[in-house]
Amino acid sequence: MTIVLNQPFVPNAMSPTRRRVFVGQTEKVASPPVRTSSHDAVDALLVACADGDPASFAPVYDALGPVAYGASLGILRDPDHAAEVTQEVMVEVWQTASRFDAARGSARTWVATLARRRAVDRVRSEQAHRDRDQRDTDLRTNESARDVVVEDVERRLEGSAVRRCIEGLTPTQREAVVVAYYGGLTYREVAEQLDKALPTVKSRIRDGLNRLRDCLGVRHG
Amino acid sequence: MADQTTATGPGGVPDDVWDLLPGYAMDALDHVERQAVERLLASDADARRALDEYRDVLAAFVVEAEPPAALRSSVLAQVQGTPQVHDRTAGTPVPESAPGGGSPSAGGSTAATSGPASSVAAPGRASGADVVDLDARRRRRRRWGTAVAAVAAVAAIAVPSTIAVQVTAERDRLQEQAQVVSEMLADPDSAVLRASVEGGGEASVLVSGDDMFFHAEGLPELDPDKAYQLWVVEGDGSVSSAGLLALRGDQATALVQGEHGVGMAVSVEPESGSEEPTTAPIVVLGA
Repeated sequence: MTIVLNQPFVPNAMSPTRRRVFVGQTEKVASPPVRTSSHDAVDALLVACADGDPASFAPVYDALGPVAYGASLGILRDPDHAAEVTQEVMVEVWQTASRFDAARGSARTWVATLARRRAVDRVRSEQAHRDRDQRDTDLRTNESARDVVVEDVERRLEGSAVRRCIEGLTPTQREAVVVAYYGGLTYREVAEQLDKALPTVKSRIRDGLNRLRDCLGVRHG
Repeated sequence: MADQTTATGPGGVPDDVWDLLPGYAMDALDHVERQAVERLLASDADARRALDEYRDVLAAFVVEAEPPAALRSSVLAQVQGTPQVHDRTAGTPVPESAPGGGSPSAGGSTAATSGPASSVAAPGRASGADVVDLDARRRRRRRWGTAVAAVAAVAAIAVPSTIAVQVTAERDRLQEQAQVVSEMLADPDSAVLRASVEGGGEASVLVSGDDMFFHAEGLPELDPDKAYQLWVVEGDGSVSSAGLLALRGDQATALVQGEHGVGMAVSVEPESGSEEPTTAPIVVLGA
């Protein structure tokens, strides 16, 4: 993996005073984000479908499918793989709806968490395949498939709520956070990729996420 | 708030485990690190809250995108034939419709989001055990007094050695339960806690990470207007309902997943259950 992440992100025009996770959309967003006003309603839909009526899941899919697909696509980039992961995630959402706890976070965050985990699992199993294949083949064009480059990251961040907060990180924090998020890497792998000590990487990611948290106004309890 | 300078917890959790919380939220930890974080989460409501915040931050990276149109019917068809993993107990308190009213110390559904193994709920996984619908319950709670204070003091689940030597038979019996319980038993850090039930019977709980498998036998039959209610005891001494126990003969089992409890307790409540305990516990497991 090559990391090219040394230019600052261009601040976008979103109002810095908006605090909600679901900030405005851009033309790049394929579907409107779940709006703040419907946030509680989506939570309630999810809670309701835990009663076991499959028909009650259709509105849940409509509201949260785009979250699962967007999360998967952001990490996997391949639409077919993202669709497969989305299917797995949404079935899991149905199966485990009773575990959703609105006191701990929104339905959107819950689904994004599940989707991220499955997408990362897939990145890692693909990487394992690739590593095996690589031993038998010469250099191939897709060798750089997992490269995280700044233009690409900018494109993927477009329309996301963190977009306006990312530039508030130091370059080294940004690098570590972005590589860990989009690369689906472990701390150890991030440290290897960036050729930095493990504790350094841990503290950069921690400090980076703490800054993002404060910038986004995320606060529980 | 995730203050990295937070003093070490009662279980001796080193500060650097706090530093792993962002990595836990990002699925960026190895197995050993993940277990260390899960121990911290089990005993520390602040850590759970910090984790929830990190998850919100990561969710803010997500740009929603419309999935392929064909996926909708495919998912909805699969859902039709897929059972849900809970067995909603009659009388289990329902969640508040409006989020945000939860207690700051509310523990909850982290099993659903706490690790790859626990998040994959295959159909039928829960067969043979009652999966208590913990997370849909109302999160009102109060302190239960001295009975659970001792449990709370055991911030990280630990088995006193005098009990540990007696649990082999109990472990063998539990092994026959569902796959999930087998997985819990395979966890080298799992522990079995057991105690006599006031009024008759024995109760035990197998603890593995965020999962707890409760079993009781020899329980006396109750008046028709009463029921046994199971509670999860958390590190701060608060308790939350794990639903009513369904008796089969004089036995009852309950699989509780995703609770960062440090122990369990049972009380006798009205048959419809209570939002919080109204009587003293007849058994407390955890110390």
